Amino acid sequence: MGRKAKDVLVKGIIYLATGITLSVLLFIVGFIFVKGIGLVNWDFLTRDYNEKVVYAFVESNDVPLNIDEETLNGKNPYDKRYETAIEGPIYVENIGAAIAKVAYKNHSTEREQFVITYIEKDSPLKSAIDSTGKSITIGCDYILQSINGNDFAGLTLEEVATTIADESGELKIKIVQPGGGIKSNIITTLYMVLLSLIVALPLGIFGAIYLTEYAKPGRLVNAIRFAAECLAGIPSIIFGLFGMAFFVVALNFQISLISGSLTVAIILLPVIIRSTEEALKTVPMAFREGSLALGATKLQTIFKVVLPCAVPGIATAVLLSIGRVVGESAALLLTAGTVAQIPGTLFSPGSTLTVQAYYVAKEEGNIELACAIGIVIIVIVIVLNILSRITSDKLDVFNKK
Amino acid sequence: MDANIKFNTKNLDLFYGDFQALKSINMEIREKEVTAFIGPSGCGKSTFLRCLNRMNDLIDSVKINGEIIFDGQDINGTIDVINLRTRVGMVFQKPNPFPMSIYENIAYGPKCQGMKDKNQLDTLVKESLVKAALWDEVKDRLNKSALGLSGGQQQRLCIARTIAMNPEVILMDEPTSALDPIATAKIEDLMSSLKKDYTIIIVTHSMQQAGRISDRTAFFLMGEVIEFNETPIIFTNPLDKRTEDYITGRFG
Ligand SMILES: Nc1ncnc2c1ncn2[C@@H]1O[C@H](COP(=O)(O)OP(=O)(O)OP(=O)(O)O)[C@@H](O)[C@H]1O
Ligand SMILES: [Mg+2]
Repeated sequence: MGRKAKDVLVKGIIYLATGITLSVLLFIVGFIFVKGIGLVNWDFLTRDYNEKVVYAFVESNDVPLNIDEETLNGKNPYDKRYETAIEGPIYVENIGAAIAKVAYKNHSTEREQFVITYIEKDSPLKSAIDSTGKSITIGCDYILQSINGNDFAGLTLEEVATTIADESGELKIKIVQPGGGIKSNIITTLYMVLLSLIVALPLGIFGAIYLTEYAKPGRLVNAIRFAAECLAGIPSIIFGLFGMAFFVVALNFQISLISGSLTVAIILLPVIIRSTEEALKTVPMAFREGSLALGATKLQTIFKVVLPCAVPGIATAVLLSIGRVVGESAALLLTAGTVAQIPGTLFSPGSTLTVQAYYVAKEEGNIELACAIGIVIIVIVIVLNILSRITSDKLDVFNKK
Repeated sequence: MDANIKFNTKNLDLFYGDFQALKSINMEIREKEVTAFIGPSGCGKSTFLRCLNRMNDLIDSVKINGEIIFDGQDINGTIDVINLRTRVGMVFQKPNPFPMSIYENIAYGPKCQGMKDKNQLDTLVKESLVKAALWDEVKDRLNKSALGLSGGQQQRLCIARTIAMNPEVILMDEPTSALDPIATAKIEDLMSSLKKDYTIIIVTHSMQQAGRISDRTAFFLMGEVIEFNETPIIFTNPLDKRTEDYITGRFG
């Protein structure tokens, strides 16, 4: 074979390898998007995962329908969970809203329910309050179950509409807020990122400062570095087990936000120490000498000159850490739990997006939903990436000529 | 003791690990004079200079024997090293302005000493820049990064930064070796004008520079001071053969 032919062959192999890698990546992302994008909308992002029963108190008030019947029919913003209405919709004047009867799928069971399909602009439902006087939102897809004690179960839509229309004055409506959203998971994820960074960043940065600025090179430093590197290579399930045994059980923190974030903080430490150390090492010795020669103390030198120079490197560490927290599943599964709720306190459980994706895929077999969560995760990671790049450019002291 | 002696070293030995870089150095450096150190590369000039403000503390392997008396006090004794460095400033071979604004570079040292008053700092920054002959060039860009200055300007900024501490002694390690002739000339002028207020010790590879600016010159060789005398004598009438060889370029 001639040299030219060899060249062509090798080139071909290189292109092929690149091509395969790229297409696998694109395929995966594409698959997730195609599978999940149908579920991603505003409601998906802003609703709770579990449905919730509330009693709404509403001052009834006749509101005429402002659109014609045909438009009303066309305006049914049905949730994914019901295909079409079984009956209706019918407009009910005294609550200023249209209702329809739908087959409502909840996990495995399927029931007939009455849902709100349209709300008029001046509808009294807009100023609904709960029993404590706090205002609550009522929107489309919300399920009506009873009014002033009259249960709707087994009624036709016609009967329900008259039952509602017969009531006047203050109405007490039993409503089911629809679930299926991932608001709580998004918020839990943000909490988790914040808390673990609050713990791990100072520890990691001070650790790195000790290693590069204070520790005399030798066995001890090498041992610490070796330990940090080993930590970085240990699969996170091991940390999860530790977190479960230590934080959850021994310290009795329960399965909770705090157990989860402390466990993740441990996972983050080596990453942060490593990148901060690298960043500190690239700060020229001349800066330290210059500062010390001006009579600055070592601490002043570190905090006023060395650390500011290392900020871009530390920003990278933060970025990597965020990626790590958002992507963490095994450790959090064991320490923070799979409850889709906004953790009320540090000691309440909550599931992050990734854990939730695992949970719905594994326990509920809902691949579509898992993919929809996947899309949100991908978007969050990309946004954070861009943000931290911008901030690290902004903070880079060498960039400001 | 002579009141005009700023530094006085007695039998100063310095080791980097096992390697002896300075051998029994005895030298008296006078106040408000320019003292130049010359000698071939690796002979220990920088090492000696760095002894005078204890910059060698940064290097773990360094061991020092002997005494360095500064204004009657042994600087390796109980003296506070921070205080020593505010009194003995240093300008390095490569300009090393901090990656901050020009203003912050000058204000850095005083701020580290606890000076907070804005007006006081403003005046000090201006005074220092004027003394370092840099004010006119940078007065409109005090808040711009110092890294945007030219090499010569950066070095003058480093001198201004040192002056802002109002030290008694300024140590300079080949301060013009990274600069072009014009910038070098400016810094040499600057040194001559600083001489009346400060004691200046400069390491240089340029015989002409030593001749132009210094009052006394020390010739180093292999960690020893071969000859230390008034500059004109060193350059016209050296006592030691090795000094003469070096000065006339016959060395090596
Ligand atoms: N940190 C160090 N560790 C070990 N040896 C060193 C160290 N710094 C300098 N030396 C050695 O000490 C000797 C004197 O070095 P020094 O830097 O003082 O020389 P110099 O006269 O300033 O040279 P030059 O003119 O090239 O700057 C040299 O042999 C050098 O190799
Ligand atoms: Mg040198």
